[in-house]
Amino acid sequence: MAIRTLARLTPPKPKTGDAFKLQVVAQHPMEPGTRKDEKGNLIPAYYIDLVEVYFEGQKVANVLPEPGVSANPLFGLAFQAAQPGTFTIKLKDNKGDTGEASVKLELS
Amino acid sequence: MNRRRFLKAAGVVAGALLAPKLTPAIAQGGGLEGEDVAHLEPTLQKVLGKGFKDLTPSNQVKLTMPTIAESGANVPFEIEVSLPKDRVKAIHLFVDKNPSPHIVKVEVGQAMPYYASRTRMAETSAVRAVVETQDGKLLLASASTRVTVGGCG
Repeated sequence: MAIRTLARLTPPKPKTGDAFKLQVVAQHPMEPGTRKDEKGNLIPAYYIDLVEVYFEGQKVANVLPEPGVSANPLFGLAFQAAQPGTFTIKLKDNKGDTGEASVKLELS
Repeated sequence: MNRRRFLKAAGVVAGALLAPKLTPAIAQGGGLEGEDVAHLEPTLQKVLGKGFKDLTPSNQVKLTMPTIAESGANVPFEIEVSLPKDRVKAIHLFVDKNPSPHIVKVEVGQAMPYYASRTRMAETSAVRAVVETQDGKLLLASASTRVTVGGCG
């Protein structure tokens, strides 16, 4: 099952040379592997362990979350606006599921 | 007892009372609430190959955490590094008292040295932002958050 992923920029249309934030939200339980169900069995770890950020097909940043990240995680990065283009974010969890989102960078 | 002798004696007593409280705080490097360097140390060794004493506290790293978090399941944090982006290799976050203290590694690449996300916290704990620079230095910023309900168990 694909991971539902959303990406957005703040401000949505930055000026050239300005900093802007890229925020990615994913729908995922992010089980840390330390919790138990009602019967006392350990719930196995299930979490996003790789977030890759591409800009115009080129990799620009990598986030490697560990089980301690909150459920439905938010990943916030900052970039400097140089040229318009498209960000593509690829997610992968430890069971091999993937998620993808993209957002267009337009300059004002 | 005259005034001079009284003040001298009082000073000695006050000093004796304060000393044991101050020494451990300095030895651990900060005296933050919920500090647990002994628990953090093996994770640091595994992730960075360095111990806590190899980290340099730096005011170029800014870690923003809430003072009190109602729920440990969702604690926002923000790491800002006032260094040029080509000097920063990676940003890490550690929570001292979590079952697994390493939270995230961010390879900043072309991005600015900034990261914002949310972490789980098992209990009131010290939180560390560690920045790996290109020349191999490890910069540290610490903060502490008081947690009402834990988010790991």
